[in-house]
Amino acid sequence: MSNYKPTYAQLLETNNLIQQNADEIYWLCATRTVQESKIFPVSAYILFSYLNCYYRYPALLRKIEERMLAEEIGDRARNQGIKIVAWCFPCFYLLGREMLINWGVIKPTDAVEDVSYVLDFWKRFQLSWHRNNGNLTNRQAGHRAQIMPEQRLQVFHADAYECRDGDPLHKAAQAFLAATAQYGFLVSCESRLTLHNYGPYRVSDTRQMLVRDFRELAESDYPWLDGVGRDIPYNNLTVTMIVEGVHINLLDDWGSFESVPELKSEHMVAVGLYTADNLSEGHLPVGMGSREELTATFLDLTERIKQATTLLWREMAGWTRDQQLDAGALTYYGVIKEFAHIAGCYEVDDWMKIDERAERFRPLLNDEYGNLFLGELVGYISSPSQRLNDYTMMQHNDNPTRSLSFYPYSMLVDGDYTARVGPLRPGVSNLPAKQDRYRTTRGVLTLEEYNRLSREFTPKLCEEPFRFLCADWVKYHYDDPRAGEMFKLEQQHSRVLKDQGAGLRRDDVEALRSKA
Amino acid sequence: MSAKLYTDTDKYAWQSEFPLVEAYNSAVKDLVRRRFAEFGGDWKEFVAGAADDTITKDDLLKIEQRVLDYGYRFEPSAISSAAERPQAYRDKGLHQEDFSFEHPEAPIAAADAEGREQRGVGDNVVTHAHNLKGIARYVRTSDKVLQYLTEGVPADTIAIVDDSGGTLTAPVLEKFKGVLCAGGTTRSHLAILTREYGIPCFMNVRLSGIKDGDLIEVECSARAKTGEDYAAGVDAAARVWRLARP
Repeated sequence: MSNYKPTYAQLLETNNLIQQNADEIYWLCATRTVQESKIFPVSAYILFSYLNCYYRYPALLRKIEERMLAEEIGDRARNQGIKIVAWCFPCFYLLGREMLINWGVIKPTDAVEDVSYVLDFWKRFQLSWHRNNGNLTNRQAGHRAQIMPEQRLQVFHADAYECRDGDPLHKAAQAFLAATAQYGFLVSCESRLTLHNYGPYRVSDTRQMLVRDFRELAESDYPWLDGVGRDIPYNNLTVTMIVEGVHINLLDDWGSFESVPELKSEHMVAVGLYTADNLSEGHLPVGMGSREELTATFLDLTERIKQATTLLWREMAGWTRDQQLDAGALTYYGVIKEFAHIAGCYEVDDWMKIDERAERFRPLLNDEYGNLFLGELVGYISSPSQRLNDYTMMQHNDNPTRSLSFYPYSMLVDGDYTARVGPLRPGVSNLPAKQDRYRTTRGVLTLEEYNRLSREFTPKLCEEPFRFLCADWVKYHYDDPRAGEMFKLEQQHSRVLKDQGAGLRRDDVEALRSKA
Repeated sequence: MSAKLYTDTDKYAWQSEFPLVEAYNSAVKDLVRRRFAEFGGDWKEFVAGAADDTITKDDLLKIEQRVLDYGYRFEPSAISSAAERPQAYRDKGLHQEDFSFEHPEAPIAAADAEGREQRGVGDNVVTHAHNLKGIARYVRTSDKVLQYLTEGVPADTIAIVDDSGGTLTAPVLEKFKGVLCAGGTTRSHLAILTREYGIPCFMNVRLSGIKDGDLIEVECSARAKTGEDYAAGVDAAARVWRLARP
């Protein structure tokens, strides 16, 4: 039994973090997306995932932090790219809590140590990941995701190849983007959890850059990509895309963007291609030796992706509903599983199983109840637990509601609370067993090798002396030898900027790029 | 024997918005009340262990069975749901021959001077230079996609699909000349994908009287419906015409 005793300040902060997520849920879910699928029972699996998050995240995050603190994971994520975990991670967990409150299975005063811990982990991770813009979320940043430091952006900017609508590179890149987006939706069971965008970053008065991540494409954590993804040589691919004549006016915590005017393929005027994971020194160029090589690389990858799409679709279309439910729920629940890879403590049973405490609710999750209950929780905000006093005007809709239940402060007086939901319980899955093959930037590894290398490896930019040499330090010390060394680390694979050091401004980069 | 739950006293709430949700959630709460009462101890001890062991999958199966015993049948979303348990789900006519969408709100009009008979509207995803003509073909099942995957997509197909997801038609989507989708918005997955592929697409279509094999024209030269349009409730509908039946 935990001796946890919350303080007033802890509860105040936790309720603030809950409120921030409550506002984000409504904005992202009710006003922006509709999720439907004939293949997957999407709403049902989303609810299923929420329950798994509630029962498993606290223990797994503690396990991860035994090896690596949340803020250090944030540093790694900034360096290598990561799934947009921003609102998903706390909200999925808190929505599981909300479901159980509405079922009477728990009270708002249950597992309070867990709730505080999960939100505190999230806060520390987010602040570190977003270190360069100082915001907790993209929403807080006015819907921008300006995550990366100048030295990385300079390389992306410098090495992007010019292209124009209809030329071979443009056509090849556009075909890759379409095919890979489609494959990504399929891999992540009709969700967008394999597709993410970052930025925008201003490249000139008329140009902006988006950094577009396509993650988990090859044989890695998902059992359904065993065999299917064998011919895909990269698990993660990052497309740097420079657009002209449009302003990216919104990039939300889903990783989706909007622009004015509407972005069309002809707006893309330069592209690059990279790969990265927790075993790489940042982003490694893929096919970037020449325009022709990049064009051929896009075409080759597109063909491989299309073949994998067909294989995967045939496999998924033959799944039972329980298999579809498991795969979708594990995809959502697994939005933070990369933390475990970064920390080198990933285990299949932790991340690819439904905890038996969540599993028992499977019989409730028919399609209609799934759609309606999810709709109440994130769209209508009409579940009993979400209704507040009649004077309340909720952000965005003015209704007397709140998406997520607060802690009652009364627990400081009456002590009527419980601390934790308990350790992991055994899990189940109806999916085939995961094969021991993990595609990484160091080749195809067994999980034991992958965990070992993860524990042994620290990217140079994430260790002394560079870890805390931030953008604000560079501003006043670009002539310091350490700044030069740090920039050269980023530039080591750059076609245009190799060994240029820390003194370049954006226009200098453009000038070098134009000459190259 | 029953016990009172923390949430049984609630000044502001009464019940859920939807009857099925209320029925299910009330049934689970009833179950928890009974198990808590049977446990007989303190809530802290109950929730920290006994609740996990005494509220079982069998209990929850019985809740669904009671709903089905009343004669209720669920609205299906995924093909697999109704296929595996036809006794639990309504028949959506996915395999019905001669199917056509008959949306009550679909605007229809007599043939214009060019012989185009308006049979519906939709939300245009991207403005194209010209309207699109093609053959309407319903794509509602994985069997149909598998057939197209095996035999190829017939030329000039403007696919008419139910939902806004990107997975049902994944292996054949880029072979369609156009897509009309009865759900979603211009931000849905299917809209994102057709935009990337450069395929004309209408979301949220409301159609009437368009059968498989009809020659149709879609007004994809109309202005695209934006996020601001949705937020402001602006109807920026683009038209769908039936041209002739072969």
